[in-house]
Amino acid sequence: QDIDDVGHKYHLELELEDVLDKGRPVSCTAEVLYALGSKTSAPDVQVTLQGELRSTEEADQEFYNWIRSLEKELVAENIPDSHGNVPPELEPIHRLAWVASGFLIWQNSTENTKFHLAQVKHVKQVKRSDEDLQFDYVLLLHDMVSQ
Amino acid sequence: DQVLHIVPGTFQQVQHLQLLCSTLMLDLWKPLLPEDIRPGEDLHIRVPASLVQEVKDSLYQHMISYRVLIPDVQKLVDQSMPRERSSHRQVSGGYVYTEYHPMEEIYQWMTQIQKNNSELVTQHILGKTFENRTMYYLQIGQPSNKTKKIIWMDCGIHAREWISPAFCQWFVKEILQNYKTDPKIRRFLQNLDLYVLPVLNIDGYVYSWKKERLWRKSRSPYGNGTCYGTDLNRNFNSSWGSVGISFNCSSDIFCGSGPESEPETKAVAQFIRSKKSDILCYLTMHSYGQLILTPYGSTTKPPSNSEELMQVGKEAAAALTGKYGTSYKVGSTALILYNNSGSSRDWVHTIGIPLSYTFELRDTGTYGFVLPSSQIQPTCEETM
Repeated sequence: QDIDDVGHKYHLELELEDVLDKGRPVSCTAEVLYALGSKTSAPDVQVTLQGELRSTEEADQEFYNWIRSLEKELVAENIPDSHGNVPPELEPIHRLAWVASGFLIWQNSTENTKFHLAQVKHVKQVKRSDEDLQFDYVLLLHDMVSQ
Repeated sequence: DQVLHIVPGTFQQVQHLQLLCSTLMLDLWKPLLPEDIRPGEDLHIRVPASLVQEVKDSLYQHMISYRVLIPDVQKLVDQSMPRERSSHRQVSGGYVYTEYHPMEEIYQWMTQIQKNNSELVTQHILGKTFENRTMYYLQIGQPSNKTKKIIWMDCGIHAREWISPAFCQWFVKEILQNYKTDPKIRRFLQNLDLYVLPVLNIDGYVYSWKKERLWRKSRSPYGNGTCYGTDLNRNFNSSWGSVGISFNCSSDIFCGSGPESEPETKAVAQFIRSKKSDILCYLTMHSYGQLILTPYGSTTKPPSNSEELMQVGKEAAAALTGKYGTSYKVGSTALILYNNSGSSRDWVHTIGIPLSYTFELRDTGTYGFVLPSSQIQPTCEETM
């Protein structure tokens, strides 16, 4: 932890583990700068990976093909369900939500927040005329402060 | 059954091993076929329990050295089996402890537990919730004509933390099941009484089953019915309303209209007050976070017995980690988590109960409140 008069800078050493590639953690370092007084801008984050993360191309392709093969646009809710279960075919949807929530959490984080994705309340695939996939998510984020 | 690791030295030994494998029809794990056995290369064979001695004798006779790679194959198999299929499913007297149960079933469970263990367990009424549901607690211990010291544990103060009531139920089952065979438990229940409140915030718990899984508070209306619920863990009389709370009734940390404004809080507080000189230790179970929290939340000033609190807490965390490697952090709420006032743990300490802890059970955010029921067993086992 560094304290400048610009804000608070944290030096982190962590390990990343791909959910689909457990057992092969990749070390990385990061620097996170929370600007002093500014509650409206996201912290500045610089990450350096010391190693390589596995390519997700295959999994991405599989997911893409599956969604494209569906007759109707995908709709789902409550992921995980009340008992903590996620149907296997919806796991990529769940992971996608994690990624999206990661962005939101980053944009809204301060030194006093600790956000986690609590649940995907609702997800709806949006029909598109091109070949891209689009999903509309309603995500529930939990801030540890309300524990 | 055992798995043996052998490295044959000579061709003679190889031949003997091949013979052994084919005549006794042993299960070769490595290599795949007897004809692939070579001197100097690793050999792994699984030997059925009934043949273990015979095989070992034969190896000895031919001066073939071996090492036991897996001493008990069945144990490994059982450990890796998905819970539903192994005998470890933890169904005791027909109740499935590895699943989450709605309130009606928990009520029935309490009655059953008392019935089946009447020499140790009595069910008592603590009070009523806002929606008029009866709050029961279980008193567990050997009856005695002397007043006994008490350890109190409550679960489910926050509705969505389902793993917490699941733990209370598991805990009761575990204590009672092993009472006869475990001298430590026997002595425990001889000298102390355990008071367990499986669900404190019953209205909230019911609501999280029927309407909103992530509901946290109670269900008392405020603001002319525009919002519902008080955070019961901000409603106790310990620096009430000072920090980490909200006076806005729609907030998840709404602390109520005054300390002990809620019937649930009042019921617990009244009881604990009446027994305070006998209560040794107060435990309140929450999720998530994997933390063991000590007083206080409202200030970083340490409590008078903070060393003792930390020591006991650290020992608990170490014992917990010993089971499945799950790590828990120990420390004062204000330092480790955030500031909050009006918590039951703090209040209980201020009235003189020395050991007061909040447990935040699994996990650390992956599933958060919606912890899969498959994690009930390991969470509960390690927390025991």
